[in-house]
Amino acid sequence: MAVQSDVIDDAGPYDRAKALGAFKLGDVTFYWITRLSAISVLLILGGIIISLIVGAYPAMREFGFSFLWTQRWAPSADPPVLGALGPMYGTLVTSFIAMLIAIPVGLGIAIFLTELCPQWLRRPIGMAIELLAGIPSIIYGMWGFFVLGPFLANSFQPFMIRIFDGVPVLGAIFAGPPSYLSTFNAALILAIMVLPFITSISVDVFKTVPPVLKEAAYGVGCTTWEVVRSVVIPYTRVGIIGGVMLALGRALGETMAVTFIIGNSFRISSSIFAPGTTISAAIASEFAESDGLHQSGLILLGLLLFVLTFFVLAAARLMLMRLDKKAGK
Amino acid sequence: MSDLSVSMSASGGLPQAPVLPEAPAKVTVRNLNFYYGEHHALKNINLTLGANRVTAFIGPSGCGKSTLLRIFNRMYDLYPGQRATGQLMLDQTNILDPKLDLNLLRARVGMVFQKPTPFPMTIYENIAFGIRLYEKISKSEMDDRVEKALRGGALWNEVKDKLNASGLSLSGGQQQRLCIARTVAVRPEVILFDEPCSALDPISTAKVEELIQELSENYTIAIVTHNMQQAARVSDKTAFMYLGELIEFDDTSKIFTSPTDRRTQDYITGRFG
Repeated sequence: MAVQSDVIDDAGPYDRAKALGAFKLGDVTFYWITRLSAISVLLILGGIIISLIVGAYPAMREFGFSFLWTQRWAPSADPPVLGALGPMYGTLVTSFIAMLIAIPVGLGIAIFLTELCPQWLRRPIGMAIELLAGIPSIIYGMWGFFVLGPFLANSFQPFMIRIFDGVPVLGAIFAGPPSYLSTFNAALILAIMVLPFITSISVDVFKTVPPVLKEAAYGVGCTTWEVVRSVVIPYTRVGIIGGVMLALGRALGETMAVTFIIGNSFRISSSIFAPGTTISAAIASEFAESDGLHQSGLILLGLLLFVLTFFVLAAARLMLMRLDKKAGK
Repeated sequence: MSDLSVSMSASGGLPQAPVLPEAPAKVTVRNLNFYYGEHHALKNINLTLGANRVTAFIGPSGCGKSTLLRIFNRMYDLYPGQRATGQLMLDQTNILDPKLDLNLLRARVGMVFQKPTPFPMTIYENIAFGIRLYEKISKSEMDDRVEKALRGGALWNEVKDKLNASGLSLSGGQQQRLCIARTVAVRPEVILFDEPCSALDPISTAKVEELIQELSENYTIAIVTHNMQQAARVSDKTAFMYLGELIEFDDTSKIFTSPTDRRTQDYITGRFG
């Protein structure tokens, strides 16, 4: 007992306060470090926006809002005419087609992997998906240029053109002639590139569904398809849409692979088998040899991509909120 | 043993149910064995669930009572490496028949789980969902069925003004009654309860127990519980299981007042488990 009371006397309330003070200093430091990290994001974002606006200002002053609906892109004409309609259209269409292909396939793979796949096949498929995500985009571009493009132009495109020949609307979308470099080829490559995002995120969120919830659904007599459709997907909706948004963000901004195979034509064609361009492809292929107003126009394109991405993500948020409302939350 | 029965009714509150006459068998279990891979989890189980009776399964954790329940609707089929041998009949249907339509079986044998499991949809849809799997009926008929099921789950008065709210917005006890209503809505013949009250407060527990008693008028019920007073309150027959074996199976009043096996007596008096 005597020893113990000695210790208490020695330590005293003074030492304890000091010890706590040291903790407090650590806490304050921690608070400021995390806070500065968070604020730095805002600063970087703001800096990028401001420098984009400054760089794009000459083009904005010259062309005004007509930049948005002019299709002609003639930087060496006198006076130069620059319009963003072609690249904006190309960006939206390639991303749209890519998501149209990648969402069902990606979700399908995820459902198979988590609900149906025999145990021994799970790892190989899962690893293949991870590897697909690790391939650099330049490789996709070369593969699209040398392998996928010729294949599509020689077999798939003529087939589709023949089938839909003369059909209203669809006939115009799938119109000839077949081409190695086309909007559709770029969209297909994009779909393959974003597939791993959708799949791996969906697999992760599907695994968060409590087994007992699935059992409950099987327990009222659901088939696997009904369990997935009515329980697994609604339960994981937010996560899936998050994955899709990540994929869409990648598709909208993807540059290298698309520049290789889209054909870089500023003319808008109703056919998806015709060459086109996207904002990032246009910037990548022209920025090196641009100057003055031309360069400013390209920076303005970049700013537009920024705005476009922002609106697409905002629309996705809105959709999520409406879905929540429908589910009664 | 008389002191035991006094303490039971004192703590349990409800009087012992009178012994009912022997009911015709709804589910018959003969020489049932179950394996988790190599592990022999159930050893030679023999018993019958009487039609419109409540049968309680008690025993220490890991004794196999939940495993047995999950054989009745073949829930174990979802997981590879689990298998059952022996005979298990639901009326004239062999439940263990590998060619059996599992969706149909699970429509006949409903299940309520330990934790409430409302589906991620509205309260109305939670009920209508199961019905829609089997029947094509009009909106007004569906409204009737949903109301009936919710009344059957003793939940209607609490949710009738918010049928379009999410099932997840209800309290734990309400969610569990929603799950019972959902099970009843499909019109099963047998309902399995796997520790239905272990996540609920005492008031919700009392409501669910009352509900189980009411349901036994129309359904054959099997309930797994860790709460022996609950078994005594709600069941007509009780099965005591230990280490994968069925030790004793008899009228509930007999199990709780004069069990024949030493281990049953030790368990219900709290000497182990």
